[in-house]
Amino acid sequence: MWTWFYKLASPPAVFRTAGRLAPWFLGAAALAIAYGTVDGLAFAPPDYQQGDAFRIVYVHAPSAWLSLFAYVSMALAGGIALVWRIKVGHAVAAAAAPIGASFTVLALVTGSLWGRPMWGTYWAWDPRLTSELILLFLYAGVMSLRGAFEEAARGDRAAALLAVVGVVNVPIIHYSVQWWNSLHQGATVAKIGKPAMAPSMLWPLLAMLLGFMLFYGGVLCMRLRGEVLSRERQAAWVRELMQARSER
Amino acid sequence: MSRVGAFAALRLVVVRELKLAFRRPDQLLQPLVFFLMVTTLFPLGLNLRLSLLREIGPGVLWVAALLASMLSLDALFRNDAEDGTLEQLALSGHGLTVIVVAKTLAHWLVSGAALVLVSPLVATALAIPVEAFPVMAASLTLGSLALSWLGAIGAGLTVGAKRGNVLLSLIVLPLAMPLLIFGAAAIDRVIGGGDASGPLYLLAALCTFATTLAPFAAAAALRITLE
Amino acid sequence: MSATFWAMGGYARFVWPCFGLAALVFAWNLWSARRHYAAARLKVERALAMSASEGA
Repeated sequence: MWTWFYKLASPPAVFRTAGRLAPWFLGAAALAIAYGTVDGLAFAPPDYQQGDAFRIVYVHAPSAWLSLFAYVSMALAGGIALVWRIKVGHAVAAAAAPIGASFTVLALVTGSLWGRPMWGTYWAWDPRLTSELILLFLYAGVMSLRGAFEEAARGDRAAALLAVVGVVNVPIIHYSVQWWNSLHQGATVAKIGKPAMAPSMLWPLLAMLLGFMLFYGGVLCMRLRGEVLSRERQAAWVRELMQARSER
Repeated sequence: MSRVGAFAALRLVVVRELKLAFRRPDQLLQPLVFFLMVTTLFPLGLNLRLSLLREIGPGVLWVAALLASMLSLDALFRNDAEDGTLEQLALSGHGLTVIVVAKTLAHWLVSGAALVLVSPLVATALAIPVEAFPVMAASLTLGSLALSWLGAIGAGLTVGAKRGNVLLSLIVLPLAMPLLIFGAAAIDRVIGGGDASGPLYLLAALCTFATTLAPFAAAAALRITLE
Repeated sequence: MSATFWAMGGYARFVWPCFGLAALVFAWNLWSARRHYAAARLKVERALAMSASEGA
């Protein structure tokens, strides 16, 4: 029953599928982000409290969401690779980490730029931003652990286990930071991202969210190709592929 | 070869670890001295503004305890992994998990529990009132035990790594941040005359959670790096 | 595109850098993925050339 899965997860199949999917993901991402940016910046009405500064939400919220999504997908891929010994899972995890980390940085910087007009300071130890910072540390740990071994396979598995441990900890960190923040600060901190949003503001946000996810899919495919290629450089199919390409 | 039960094996390994630890008292004392030293740095850096020191005391105490625990963590599995003892223990038929539990408990006794014992000294220097000592001891006990479990995962993951020590802190400290939050908050609350049971219960919950899951994760980590 | 649009209600110096940085992160991701792939390809080609020269 699972043979189709193993066939799908074989390195040459993944290499080919990723190559085929990447342009579609990136094209769709370009459309969604173009719509979201134009509608969000030019047509959505300004927030009645935050004015035009709220437009930062259109890059901040999707990047924060993506940073978490990329981490969970990295842990999932690593966990699958650990349990069922599917090597491609490690390649996916290795490809996801730098993308996720880059969006974590983006979420932190945009959150801080948003904080300046809202809180009067670039960094207010807001619980969400603090969790985001800890998430960046988790990414750093996973990425450096992967490179810390003589044998690449060992680093892969160690990084996968750490990512899984980290994913168990992410909600604990999130709630403990929230609890911690409720001790120290009252309602002075302006809330970022309100639950109830006018549809004219919400549509561009959803488009941006979708666009960021599609971009992640596209870049993940691109990175995954490189990752699979360098991991499989001794394999026969890679040699055949390269020879076929150079003859053309 | 006599068959020993899992608990007997656990006790044997703990006793062995403790004997080994007390044979090298300098390694036992160094983290404690480091703990004292870090807490000395703060009053010096704050130019003796004692009121300020009183306010940040619990945080300083906890950060110093965290950093001091990081120091001894690297040795948790490294020596035994390098001379092959760990593989022998793993082959003893009791499974790596039992070995991990035994080694971590022994490590906690000589590092975490020792920190708890020294903490009144440090707390006095940081102007933490005596009435807060029971809560402080409880928070440090629960926190350091949970930290030892997290540390066991980290030490297991980095035992075969090229440059383990800094990497170990990089891995474990983010995971330990909730412990710091609740641990310092418990002391903070009791100093402020409040009720410290909330953060202590949360700390106990985290400690229980770590105690149930971390041994398996740490054993899996060791298996990855030893294989 | 009027001046009021670019002014962003006085928040221009916070809003525009955010979108600029987002563009930067997107560009970095694309560039780095391409470079990653090119580096992997170079490695494979080198290995191929090595084995070809050994075989000859």
